Amino acid sequence: MSNLTRMVRDTATVARRDFFAMVGTPTFLLFLLAPLLMIGFGAVGGVGGAMVGKSADAKERIYAIVDGATAQRFMAVDKQLRPLFSGDARPPELEIESPAADPAAQAKTLLKQDKHDVPAVLYGSLAQPQILQRNKTSRSARYLAQIAEQVVREQTDGLTGPLSKPDFVQIARQGSSIGGKSATGFFAVTALFVLTLMLSGQTVGTMAEERSNKVIEILAASVRLESVFLGKLIGMYGVAMVFIAFWGTLALLVGSFLPPDTLARMAAMRPAIGLPAFFALFFLYFTMAYLLLGTVFLGVGAQASTPREIQMLSLPITIFQMAMLGLASASVAVPDQPVALIAEIFPFSSPFAMLAYGARSASWWPHLLAIGWQLLWVALSITIGARLFRRGVLQSAGPKFRWKALLGRT
Amino acid sequence: MGDQYALEAHGLVKIFSGQRVVQGVDIAVPKGAIYGVLGPNGAGKTTTLRMLLGIIEPDGGTRTLLGNAYPRDISDRVGYLPEERGLYPGMKAKEAIAFMGALRGLDWKTGRERAAVMLEEAGLGHAIDSKIKKLSKGMAQFVQLLGSVVHEPEFLVLDEPFSGLDPVNQERLEALVIKERDRGATILFSTHVMAHAERLCDRLAIIAGGRRRFEGTVADARALLPMQVHYTPHHDGAGLKALLPADAQREGEEWRFTMPDEGVETLLVRLIEAGHGISGLSIERPSLHDAFVKIVGREAAEEME
Repeated sequence: MSNLTRMVRDTATVARRDFFAMVGTPTFLLFLLAPLLMIGFGAVGGVGGAMVGKSADAKERIYAIVDGATAQRFMAVDKQLRPLFSGDARPPELEIESPAADPAAQAKTLLKQDKHDVPAVLYGSLAQPQILQRNKTSRSARYLAQIAEQVVREQTDGLTGPLSKPDFVQIARQGSSIGGKSATGFFAVTALFVLTLMLSGQTVGTMAEERSNKVIEILAASVRLESVFLGKLIGMYGVAMVFIAFWGTLALLVGSFLPPDTLARMAAMRPAIGLPAFFALFFLYFTMAYLLLGTVFLGVGAQASTPREIQMLSLPITIFQMAMLGLASASVAVPDQPVALIAEIFPFSSPFAMLAYGARSASWWPHLLAIGWQLLWVALSITIGARLFRRGVLQSAGPKFRWKALLGRT
Repeated sequence: MGDQYALEAHGLVKIFSGQRVVQGVDIAVPKGAIYGVLGPNGAGKTTTLRMLLGIIEPDGGTRTLLGNAYPRDISDRVGYLPEERGLYPGMKAKEAIAFMGALRGLDWKTGRERAAVMLEEAGLGHAIDSKIKKLSKGMAQFVQLLGSVVHEPEFLVLDEPFSGLDPVNQERLEALVIKERDRGATILFSTHVMAHAERLCDRLAIIAGGRRRFEGTVADARALLPMQVHYTPHHDGAGLKALLPADAQREGEEWRFTMPDEGVETLLVRLIEAGHGISGLSIERPSLHDAFVKIVGREAAEEME
């Protein structure tokens, strides 16, 4: 058996132990379902917020104090203009009031009423309407002014129907829009970051188990430390894959129930490299980001001998991750600037930045280069981590690296 | 390097934080032997064993294990029970043994099968599917010991294997060591219990202060000290002391002295002719403990007791 084959075998043994030790415990269920709590709280907060918002919207009214025929035209123009606005931009419901003896006082009374929130009230002649507004740049007030303008134009020209009758012809975009690519890049980088933040950080404390229960001596005597490190990393990566498979399946199921307009908006976020390839890249770059950051965390965490030290290490680790997100986000925002190239080359931000690259460019070869480069850094990080562990914990310099031994036979 | 040795080490040196904890130790373990490493606490026994296994690299010297200068490259042929016992508490006994075998290249299925048989043979059949955390310390220690031999190693290293075991398990362990030797394995173990070393070891090395002070058989070690004569006269009287060797010491009725170079026959004739007679006579070989005390000093020897 060659030493390389043996290293693979040893790595698999350690990975298998770690994977089943993690997955086979009740704690794993808690880990797996932890996002449910997050989503649950988010949903409750979101629904509550939306209900409060909707309820507040339902209580808003704008008023126009106009009479007779003008009132009818006012309503007709409102009906014509209102569909142009959607969502939060939609103006509050319009109410028409007949003018009283003192319209100015009537307008003020309407504005101050307790029954509804009233952002704006229009009164007086439409040629020079008076509009009371709550805010200096009230959109509702501008909306009332626009209706008045339209009604006055109709009255002046004596025209009441539409003069232009356009035909709408849809020509769908073949590729993705520039904005869509950018949004896809940002969305994907954020998703990759959140996943890596949640999952690779788990590796920081994995060596602590072996140190506390003294199993490290057995491992160190039996297999190379590099195999122990890589095995632990792959074991935890397996756990991360179970997590992603579970939540990915759930997300797909939920996605099929999304409203059509949401799905249409999501469809606009097409990456330049194509959706199936982009998903493959997402998987590959998640693997690389996990291995790269996980190796660093594992190496740093292996130096800690107590849970307190591990806790202390969590902060710099999180800051390091945030820095990588910042670098990668910069590459999304300004893809033509040197910072984007730096983010793509710097090994620990490279997976994030290269995923964003996949969203905006259809080229394949840079990804092959990047993955090779990142793998090299995974190997380097594992070697450095193992050597630091050997020096710091086992208090020994490692054996000299021997290519001949790695490729030779025992 | 001779083919008759499973392990050869020359001039091993280890320095921790500027302090030389092992200072040029030489060890040669013949194939098929049970070899003991004795020494007081802090003598450098564990550090030496760890260097021999390649867990840590020596700062000086060379070692060849089963003909290989890099012990880690042949770790599948080696078994090791460390001084600081360690098992995953959540693992079942059978799985723990199979895991340790898998680390040494034994497939899991065979590992589990052998583990079940070994646990049964060791009288721990009831614990096959018990988690390590549910076992007593001694039982867990025995599980780890079985894990270190499940892959049938050619060379077995046991660091203080008897410590923490009750007499029953110590007996089981001795039987296991002999069984492994009979299977053809070479065994190197460190201990501070002289009785085990005396009973088991074909050869031994005594280490103190990071240096090897002695190497040879138990008989060689004992031979470092002369035999002791215990003599009780039938009639004690004036002139007896003058007939006995100069180092004779009286303890109650009995006199003790070092066996004269020419033997005791001439002396006994003189004592009988002088009318002192012989009420009691015994000749004692010195124990390994006595030899150890002579080699490392009484203070270091007392540390081990």
